[in-house]
Amino acid sequence: MRLLSSALITLLALTKLSFASSNSVLVVLDPSLDREDYSIFFGGLEERGYNLTFRAPKDTSPAITNYGVPNYDHVILFAPDTKSYAQDITPQSLVGLLSENTNLLIALSPKQTPLTSLAAEFSLILPPPETPLISHHPARSEPPTTIPVPVSSSPILTPGIPPIWFTGASHALGSTPMLVPILRAPAESFAADPTSDADSDALVSASEKGGEGLWAGSQMGLVTGFQTNVNSRVVFAGGVNMFSDEYARKELPSGELPGNALFVTDVAAWVFQEKMKLKIDAVDHHRVGESEAPEKYTINDEIVYTAHISAYDSETSTWKPYSGIDDLQLEFTMLDPHIRTSLPPVPGSPGTYQVQFRAPDRHGVFKFVLNWKRKGYSYLESSTTVPVVPPRHDQYPRFLSAAWPYYAGAISTSVGFFLFSALWLAGDVKGERKKGSKAE
Amino acid sequence: MPAAYPLPSDLSPATVTNTASLLRIIALALISGAAIASRLFAVINFESIIHEFDPWFNYRATKVLASQGFYEFWNWFDPTAWYPLGRVVGGTIYPGLMATSGVIYNLLHALNLPVDIRNICVLLAPGFSALTAWATYMFTKELKDESAGLLAAAFIGIVPGYISRSVAGSYDNEAIAIFLLMFTFFAWIKALKQGSAFWGTIAAVFYFYMVAAWGGYAFITNMIPLHALVLLLMGRFTGRLYVAYSSWYAIGTLSSMQVPFVGFQPVRTSEHMAALGVFGLLQIVAFAQLVRAHVSSKQFQELLFAAVISVGLIGFFGIVGLTYKGWIAPWTGRFYSLWDTGYAKKYIPIIASVSEHQPTAWPSFFMDLHFLIFLFPAGVVMCFRTLRDEHVFVIIYAVVASYFAGVMVRLMLTLTPVVCVSAAVALSSLMDAYLDPSEPNVEDDKNGSSTPHSTGTTPSTALATSKKTKKNKEKEASAPAGGVLGELVSNVTSSAVAAKSATTAERGVFGMDTRLIVLLNSLGLLLFFVVHCTWVTSNAYSSPSVVLSSTSPDGSKNIIDDFREAYHWLRQNTAEDAVVMSWWDYGYQIAGMADRPTLVDNNTWNNTHIATVGKAMSSPEDIAYPILRKHDVSYVLIIFGGLIGYSGDDINKFLWMVRIAQGVWPDEIQEPNYFNRGEYRVDSEAAPAMRDSLMYKMSYYRFAELFGGQQPVDRVRGQHVPIQGPTLDYLEEAYTSENWIVRIYEVKKDDVLGRDLKIANAFDQGKKRKRTKPMSRRKSISA
Repeated sequence: MRLLSSALITLLALTKLSFASSNSVLVVLDPSLDREDYSIFFGGLEERGYNLTFRAPKDTSPAITNYGVPNYDHVILFAPDTKSYAQDITPQSLVGLLSENTNLLIALSPKQTPLTSLAAEFSLILPPPETPLISHHPARSEPPTTIPVPVSSSPILTPGIPPIWFTGASHALGSTPMLVPILRAPAESFAADPTSDADSDALVSASEKGGEGLWAGSQMGLVTGFQTNVNSRVVFAGGVNMFSDEYARKELPSGELPGNALFVTDVAAWVFQEKMKLKIDAVDHHRVGESEAPEKYTINDEIVYTAHISAYDSETSTWKPYSGIDDLQLEFTMLDPHIRTSLPPVPGSPGTYQVQFRAPDRHGVFKFVLNWKRKGYSYLESSTTVPVVPPRHDQYPRFLSAAWPYYAGAISTSVGFFLFSALWLAGDVKGERKKGSKAE
Repeated sequence: MPAAYPLPSDLSPATVTNTASLLRIIALALISGAAIASRLFAVINFESIIHEFDPWFNYRATKVLASQGFYEFWNWFDPTAWYPLGRVVGGTIYPGLMATSGVIYNLLHALNLPVDIRNICVLLAPGFSALTAWATYMFTKELKDESAGLLAAAFIGIVPGYISRSVAGSYDNEAIAIFLLMFTFFAWIKALKQGSAFWGTIAAVFYFYMVAAWGGYAFITNMIPLHALVLLLMGRFTGRLYVAYSSWYAIGTLSSMQVPFVGFQPVRTSEHMAALGVFGLLQIVAFAQLVRAHVSSKQFQELLFAAVISVGLIGFFGIVGLTYKGWIAPWTGRFYSLWDTGYAKKYIPIIASVSEHQPTAWPSFFMDLHFLIFLFPAGVVMCFRTLRDEHVFVIIYAVVASYFAGVMVRLMLTLTPVVCVSAAVALSSLMDAYLDPSEPNVEDDKNGSSTPHSTGTTPSTALATSKKTKKNKEKEASAPAGGVLGELVSNVTSSAVAAKSATTAERGVFGMDTRLIVLLNSLGLLLFFVVHCTWVTSNAYSSPSVVLSSTSPDGSKNIIDDFREAYHWLRQNTAEDAVVMSWWDYGYQIAGMADRPTLVDNNTWNNTHIATVGKAMSSPEDIAYPILRKHDVSYVLIIFGGLIGYSGDDINKFLWMVRIAQGVWPDEIQEPNYFNRGEYRVDSEAAPAMRDSLMYKMSYYRFAELFGGQQPVDRVRGQHVPIQGPTLDYLEEAYTSENWIVRIYEVKKDDVLGRDLKIANAFDQGKKRKRTKPMSRRKSISA
């Protein structure tokens, strides 16, 4: 009993507090890429307080993990064309990093690399090798593989980012709800071999087949995030050029400056857990009119459930109460949810969400379940187990109006017995003898 | 008056009486000692430990009672059992056993004897067996005399049929129930004999205790009405019967309804209707008697007779009608399975799956009762010869219990007392005849003399003869008063007696040699009985089944302690709220020894929940996994005997899991799929459904590694298991005990990337994944 009363609170939202060490970033940079070409991006990161460490894919030190413990909080993999890595970087070890709450920013390319098979694990479907994204619109002097992509609004991004330059591979999105699309391909674009026109027939036949195998259109993703079950984040970018200084400065066909610099900063801020990071500080529950959580509830009790949620503020590096969720739900579950109710924020008390409900007329081991999963936001999950028991023997009503026939029966029998005894004792001797002889 | 051997004649009757009673007390004390001592084999061979399955729950409940008091126990809701349904323990158990231990515990602590509650529980059954011996003595004394009573007490004290349920550590309801059964019957006989409301009330009080202690109380609930009904039909209705039955029924029923688990059953279920019906019938008959005493008209009596019959019929049809309308619950499945042994297997596999619900094999009658089974019919015939009311009771008891013992192994327990009683009556009669030193008078050949032993040489024989005459007189008295049936029965017996006495003018035993032959023979039988009982008790019935033992070729003993090892591992290494799934047999043990929540346990109240576990065990991993996750299962525990040849393992029970699951999900689980051409196999020829089932995979996971490349052999099934063993994707091995009897698997959590665990596993092992294409988002136009 005590093991259930001790509330089991799973706070998956709580990943890492903002220690100074939580800003260490390992950048795995391919030797073919020059660090200086990405100075705006890396400089921006360093400006925001990140500690960058650089290494080449084939270097053995600094190691990503030591004895299974990650050495860095975030890893940037800018090695899109590298075919072979040092021992410690494999698709398996990168998934292992994610489960240890390390965040990854990965740049892909049209080439077939170990990262291609890694992307498949995140339910990203990559086109055949050597088929970069191509778009002939809008008309411009750049090659068709260098595309200005309009940015659609997303809670991850600053509103109103101008189109950004993109070169690289697109990917189709699988069915996993954990994917967070950040940048979609333009509607006119498609993935094809730029040197020949061999793919055009395939494109036509794929579109006739209802889109199966069709790497084209705005259903393709270019930059896609993924939030794991432990709330670590990973972003797959279709190409590494979009992070470069060159693309950040290259003018758009319309003449204005592209949004690359702002876009990659926003993406990095999301993947490095600077924004949209929530956690459940505490949950508590008690009967109406009480303040302590009881060891167990009785059926039909009125229960008050409260959750305290806060959001991470990267400006001050602190957690602040957060009342912005308006679709939070609470379930009271035993195998199936017996009660599912909305858990609204309490006006005037920031970060507090509260609901009052009546326990079902069913005993058993119930769970208060909070399960809030929205794209881009940290998952909020909490499960608290409490037994709901039938009333105690002395909690039932003492007298029932329906039981009056029985009360009347008991009373009349008692009165009758009393009268009979009185008559028997006070009666004459003859009667007594007669009765006595019959009992023999 | 010739005598076969001289007797001291200078003893005063008072001395003889006092010595006899002193000897009786000493004998009873020694019998109690023997009864307790022979039950201690379990403690000596193993240790002071609670046995088997159900006792573990009783022990756990007793601990709650002892530590938290009666009211907390009464309101105890156990959230760790039947997770997540929970179990209202206070309302679903017979609390008599726990209350008894609780009272003893508190009493001893009040006397500043700090005895551990476990030791009280372990030693409760032996203690009560001594009381059973005493109650049997009292009961048999009512039938015949003290010497028969002592024999019966000695028999019940050491007979294996009773020891099997009452060795030290077998802390189960039966441990105290047999004492209560015998004492209730004794009080009932006493009440019936004396027509005493006082004894009727005592019978009712012990009946209440019995109801509070054991579900088998229904046996008393039906035995006493049956006895009353038979007496009624034999024309033996008396005011004594009326008083005894009415006081027992009214008080007994009212008090039995105070047990929460019983509640309104005594007035709502068919099992209890016989008692109610006989109660009503007795009232009618008593009323008819009353009227008949006051009215002399013959015609009126006939009218009355018709009225009685019609009221009886109305009552009967009323009960049938109420049953039909649903006011009275019809017979339960367990009850049907008593009449039709195939019923349970067909309709309630969960009942049929229990080994102690199987029909009894013939050898076990001899094993459990030894030579008593041969004396038993003789004792019943002896009862026919005397046929007082209490003998009718024993006869009915013998018939009913014999039938039930043949149907279900566990009901051997209810047969044992009556076998002991009847055998004691028979043996004691034999002893009486052959110990009596008086020789028949050859000169005196008067035919049909009612008192052949004219002068009693010892007070005891005098007592016997006077009793005999009294019996004869009673028989004569009862014959004319008796009804049709009674007349018939007494006619048969008395004519047999008459025929015998006509052929042999004088019955008796001549000389010492015949006496010695018979007596030594009986003594030999008794000695063999003792040897047999001791052997059976020490070898067959004293194993705690929590701890196993094996004997090596050199005779040394090997203790196999896998169960406790594994349960202790669970206790030490898992989270306190980690739910453990196992087949229901091990639910109580996990709760008692590992202190972890379980899905199902031996209190098999929810068939669907058990079927859910059965389905999880018999399905492939990917189907079982969502079931496990839905029920928050963290660990799965199975019993595997293939390595050391422990035959009571889960693979052997597996078909019952399949059957029970099939009862609820006939579309998903089908028993024939688990057979290969009608054979139940685990080797390379095993059926695909069998090979894919979670149970098979968990049992043989990494089994082949033990054999180092050799062909692995399952020692229970005697089959060769494939060298390439099964693989697991959704579970991982957490613990395997020393002899592989208990294997514990941990259920994996969801993959961190939300993938199917099978795919995640393949990725971890570096297997290449098939390339996928973007899915079609709309229906193809051409299709």
